[in-house]
Amino acid sequence: MTVRREKAERLADEELMPWIAEKDPEAFEVFYDRHGGVAYALAYRILGDRTAAEDCIQEAFISIWRSGARFDRTRGSVRSWTLSIVRNRAIDALRSKAGKAPKLTFDDDAILEARPAEELTEEEAMRHETATEVRGALSQLPDEQSKCIELAYFGGFSQSEIARMLNVPLGTVKGRMRLGLEKIRGELAEGLA
Amino acid sequence: MNANDHDSRLEQAVAFALGALDPGQIDDFKEHLQDCKRCQEELRWLAPAVRALPEAVESRTPPPALKERLMAEVHADVEAEAKRARAEERRERAGSGTGLVEWLRGLHIGGLTWKPLAGMAVVILIVAGGIGYAVGNGNGGSAGNAHTWEIEPGANGIEAKVVREGNRAEVRLAGVKQLPKGKVLEAWVQRGNAVEPVPALFVPDHAGNASTTIENMKGVSLVMVTKEPAGGTKAPTEEPFVEVPLES
Repeated sequence: MTVRREKAERLADEELMPWIAEKDPEAFEVFYDRHGGVAYALAYRILGDRTAAEDCIQEAFISIWRSGARFDRTRGSVRSWTLSIVRNRAIDALRSKAGKAPKLTFDDDAILEARPAEELTEEEAMRHETATEVRGALSQLPDEQSKCIELAYFGGFSQSEIARMLNVPLGTVKGRMRLGLEKIRGELAEGLA
Repeated sequence: MNANDHDSRLEQAVAFALGALDPGQIDDFKEHLQDCKRCQEELRWLAPAVRALPEAVESRTPPPALKERLMAEVHADVEAEAKRARAEERRERAGSGTGLVEWLRGLHIGGLTWKPLAGMAVVILIVAGGIGYAVGNGNGGSAGNAHTWEIEPGANGIEAKVVREGNRAEVRLAGVKQLPKGKVLEAWVQRGNAVEPVPALFVPDHAGNASTTIENMKGVSLVMVTKEPAGGTKAPTEEPFVEVPLES
């Protein structure tokens, strides 16, 4: 292992990004080693196909490599930024395969991510929540609530589309989504208390 | 707005956070969000839950070959950029006879003096200047903000698109066959009479899609793509298999 790679491994994600912006391949490799696994799992979960997930990850990470300087730390953690890029690419791929809907833009994520800097502390703490705890929060939801959330987040479906798929009124889907997401948020907040 | 109306806004905030708001409602909600502190707070509060959702996905190890492909593309980028920088440096030196002589004065190669080296270098630079970039005769220069140029699949089955936004553009290919080992795709732009390499080399994915970015579109009249040895080249070594004229 090179000295530079060792140095890069000791850096926090946010410190690593300027190295990537400077086109440092070793910093990028460290970045991939940290987040490639969860990113690949997310792409696979959305696309349900190994080859499509690999292509999605390759495109997403290359776009990050070529635009590393665009990361803005006031908008959230590197991990959530990366995963939102992967999710958007995967949903785009899903939609283009199904021949529907225009491409997702990053604008909506930017609004979601934009928040005061002091909240990043909570973000950092949240990162260390184990996957089991997050899965636990999701699994404790009633099936109809988790299904709405999963169809929206992992399927890229709108509320109206979900209502049609589940054959329930639109208002029911809205209510289930809100209750479900607020419960997950509440569980996570308890875990941090 | 009464409390019931606002409840429906909060439901929209949840859908917005999950990316599930119906397309027709997005702009309206964004406009509302600008002035509504309550919805802004709701979104801020929900954001960690949305960000945590990917963590709930069952862990899956990516195949090592994925990392190899990714890093090969990254190293190809770095190598191409280094080559581009070296070529730029050489061009700058060639632009100034004094600069070239000064550079050669600084060389200490074995027992050779700089004078014969200078003679050789000048000859090389003249020859390279003559053949290096003398390709094409386009007029270049297309203005405008967002614009797409597209060519339908030809005999080789490749579909090409150049999507320009501002001064940057993305070259998108579809239907590209997998490359032989040691080969990459290299894009070229024609500006006036000069053909310049695009530093970001690229390779097709499993589906035969490939893309690269052109950082400076000023004066570009034609975009071409060739297959080149890994690391790229300064001038095309073969006829382009894709040519997209950018007619304004």
